[in-house]
Amino acid sequence: MAGILDVPKPRINYSMLSQHINRAVCFVGRVGKVHPTGKTFTVTDGEGKTVTIELNDPLEEELSGIVEVIGMVSSRGEIMATTYNILREDKGISFDLELYNEALKVIHDFPQHYPFVVAASG
Amino acid sequence: MRKAKVHNLKEQLCEAGMGVTLTQGAVEALLKGSEVNNPVLQLLNIRQISSASGPSRFRLMMSDGRHSLSSFLLATQLNNLPEENLLVQHCVCMLKKTTTNTLSDGRQVVVVVDMEILQSAEQTGGKIGNPIPYNSDGKLSSPQKVSSSTSEQTSSSSAALPGPSHRNNTSFSASRGAGRNLTATALMKTSPMKTSPMKTSPMKTSPMKASPMKTSPMKTSPMKASPMKASPMKAAGSSLVSSAKVIPIASLNPYQSKWTIRARVTNKSNVRNWSNSRGEGKLFSFEIVDESGEIKITAFNNEVDKFFSLVEQGKVYYISKATLKVANKQYTTLKNDYEMTLNAHSSIVPCDDCQGIPTVHCDFVPIGELENWDKDAIIDVIGVCKSAEDVSRITTKSSREVSKRALNLIDTTGKEVTITLWGEEAEKFDGSGQPVVAIKGARLSDFGGRSLSALFSSTIMVNPDIPEAFRLRAWYDKEGHAVDSQSLTETRSTSSGSKMNWKTLSDIKDENMGHGEKAEYFSCVATVVFTRKENSLYQACPSADCNKKVIDQQNGLYRCEKCNREYPNFKYRLLLSANLADFGDNQWVTCFQETAEVLLGHSAKTLGQLREMDEAAFDKVFQKANFTTHVFKNRVKLETYNDESRVKVTVLEVLPVDHREYSRRLLRNIHKLAS
Repeated sequence: MAGILDVPKPRINYSMLSQHINRAVCFVGRVGKVHPTGKTFTVTDGEGKTVTIELNDPLEEELSGIVEVIGMVSSRGEIMATTYNILREDKGISFDLELYNEALKVIHDFPQHYPFVVAASG
Repeated sequence: MRKAKVHNLKEQLCEAGMGVTLTQGAVEALLKGSEVNNPVLQLLNIRQISSASGPSRFRLMMSDGRHSLSSFLLATQLNNLPEENLLVQHCVCMLKKTTTNTLSDGRQVVVVVDMEILQSAEQTGGKIGNPIPYNSDGKLSSPQKVSSSTSEQTSSSSAALPGPSHRNNTSFSASRGAGRNLTATALMKTSPMKTSPMKTSPMKTSPMKASPMKTSPMKTSPMKASPMKASPMKAAGSSLVSSAKVIPIASLNPYQSKWTIRARVTNKSNVRNWSNSRGEGKLFSFEIVDESGEIKITAFNNEVDKFFSLVEQGKVYYISKATLKVANKQYTTLKNDYEMTLNAHSSIVPCDDCQGIPTVHCDFVPIGELENWDKDAIIDVIGVCKSAEDVSRITTKSSREVSKRALNLIDTTGKEVTITLWGEEAEKFDGSGQPVVAIKGARLSDFGGRSLSALFSSTIMVNPDIPEAFRLRAWYDKEGHAVDSQSLTETRSTSSGSKMNWKTLSDIKDENMGHGEKAEYFSCVATVVFTRKENSLYQACPSADCNKKVIDQQNGLYRCEKCNREYPNFKYRLLLSANLADFGDNQWVTCFQETAEVLLGHSAKTLGQLREMDEAAFDKVFQKANFTTHVFKNRVKLETYNDESRVKVTVLEVLPVDHREYSRRLLRNIHKLAS
C-alpha cells in the first residue's frame, strides 16, 4: 500500500484504461453489482462504461453510490484495488459524475496544463 | 281485393302515369347515412311539434314505396311548406338536401334541409304502395307502447324519434296530439293525426323529469327545472341536440340564439365566492375549445350548483342556450370577442363522439423569444422541467399564507425560464423525472429579466398528450439535457443586467477596471485570506433609516449629526476590510453591513456584544472567515481622495459557490480557448 501512495495516480475513466495498464490510477464511478464473495464489484463511469474492481480482502461494508477506487490496472482491464473511498451522498453536494467525466477529458486533453508529477518536497 | 287495388295504383303511379317514381331503398340508405341523390319520397304523415319558445318543428313520416320511416325532421327554414299546406300528407317530394344524425343511443334522425314538392296529395291520391316501417332494431313497431304510461312513451322502444316531442309537450300534448307517441305503430294504426291516446297522455305531468331516460343523460340534467324549456335544440339531450346543427364556436354571436356547440373543456376554475355591497354570490368559469376556436363560459349562483360537478376538464359536451356577450378582456385572455354566461335555460350534455375536437388549444411561445414579449403578456409556454425548487410558503401583503414553487423550464431554443406555481398547483406538482410541462395562460413578468407566473386561470399540464410534448421529450433525452442553457430568469439580482460579468482578480489591474467615468461591476470566485477585525464595528445612529456614525458624548448620550439629535443608545454596524485572493492576484475589498454579516456569519449586534464580553470568541469569528471561498459580486471604481487615486472595490453580494455551475463555466471557457 505504501508504494502506491507515493506514485501519481491519474484519474481515468473506462476509455483510458488501456493506456494505463500496469500503472496506478484513480477511478471514480457508481457502484454496480457486488459479487457475493465481496471480493469483486463493478463500477460505472460517467460515460456509462463499466469496470470490474478486485479487492485483496473481501468487503466489510455495504457499497453503494459513488466510489473512488485507487489501484493498479491489470492486463485484463480490471483494477486491482488497494483502497477505496465512498463519496457519501447524504453529505454535501451530490456528485455529478457526468461533469466529472468532462473534467477528466480536459485533464487528459491538456497534459501540459495538468501534469501528473509528484511535487518535490523541501 | 283492396290490397290488389292499392297495389295496382302503386304500380300505376310508380311506373307510368303520374311521372313520379319513389326512390325505393332510399329510406334505408338515408338512415344508414349512404349517399342518395335527390330521393323521391312520399309524405305519409306529418306532425307538428310545438315548443314554448322558438318555431315549431315538423316531424315527417316518409316512404320510399318499400319502407316508411318517421324519423324525419323538417329543418325550420322549411316550416312554411306545411304551414302553407304545401307539404301535406300523401304528397310526393324530392329531398334535395338532408343530414343524417346519429343520436348517442344509436338511433338515427334524418333532417330535411331542402325539399321540393313534386306532386300534391290530390294528384297522388293516397299512399303509394305498401311500405313497411323500416325496422333497424326491431323496436320500431311495438304497438303496445302507444297508450302506455308516460315513462314508457319516452322510451326508445316506442318511438323512432324520442325526445323533442316528449319534452316539449307537457302543455301542448292535449291539444296537438303531437308529442311523444310518434311511433310508427301509432301512425300506422290510426289515421294520421288522430292519436287519441296522446290526448289523454299523462304528458302533462312533466314526467320527463322522472322518466328513466334511456336515451339521453341530459334529460336528467338541468332540463328538469322546466318542461317548457324544451325547444327542439335543447330538449332531449342527445336526440335533438344532434339533430340540431352543431355550429363552430367561432361563429357564435349574441344575435343568434338558436345554436348548439360541441366542445371540450380545457380549463375549469374552482368555485369562487364573492361578497360586496351589492350582495354576494358564487361563480365558476371554464373554457372550451373546438376546431374553430375557444370561448369562456361563466356560471353564477344557481347555475354553479347545476353544472359544476357535471363539467369536467378534458371532456366534450354539447352546449346550447347560453347568453353571449362581449368578452370582458380583463378577466380572460382567450381569443374570442365574446364570452358566455350560463342561464336557467342552458343545457350541457356530455358528448361521446369527440373526434375532431382538439384536446387543447395552445400557442406556445419559444422560451428564447420571451425577451421579445412585453411584461404582463399572457402566453402559453411548454418546456422540460429541468429542476424544481421545493414548495415554500410565503405570506402575502394581505397576510394570507400561500404556497409557491419555482420550476425551471428549458426548450429547444436552449434557453431556460423560471415559472412560479401557486397554491394547490404548487403543492401537487411532481417534478420527478424532468417532465414536460405546458402552461396555458401564464403571465410573463420582467422579474429577474424574464420569468413566468401561473395565474388562477392558467392551466398547467404535466406530460400532456400533444405533439410538442413528444418533440420536447425526444430532444431533451437526446441532447437537451446536456445543453448549457442560459436562464432568462436571474435568480440573483445583478446590477449589470441579465448576465454575470465573470472576472478574475488579476483582471482588475490588467483591464484597468473602474478607471472609466462610471463604476464597473463584476463577479468573481475568490478566497478570503485576511479580515481586519480592528475598526470593523462602529456605533451608528439608532434611527431606522440613518446609518451615520454617532459621536459618543460621554454622558450616556450619542449624537447624530445627520439627524441633528441625541440618542441614549446606538446600533452596531459593520464596515469590514478584507483581502481576497485567487490563483492570480489579491485584492483589498470593503464589505458593508449585509455582506460583512454573511462573510463573518454573525450579525453586527452579536459581534458588538462579543467584542465587549468575550474577546477571544470575537477574534475567532474573524479567523474562521479566513480561507473560505465565495462568489463575490463587486463594484469597482477609481476614487480620488486628497490627490491620491485608488481603485476601490466594494462587495455588493456574497454568495456560496455553486460548484456545478462554476465547473460548467470553466469547462465552457476551456473549450472556447481550445477551439
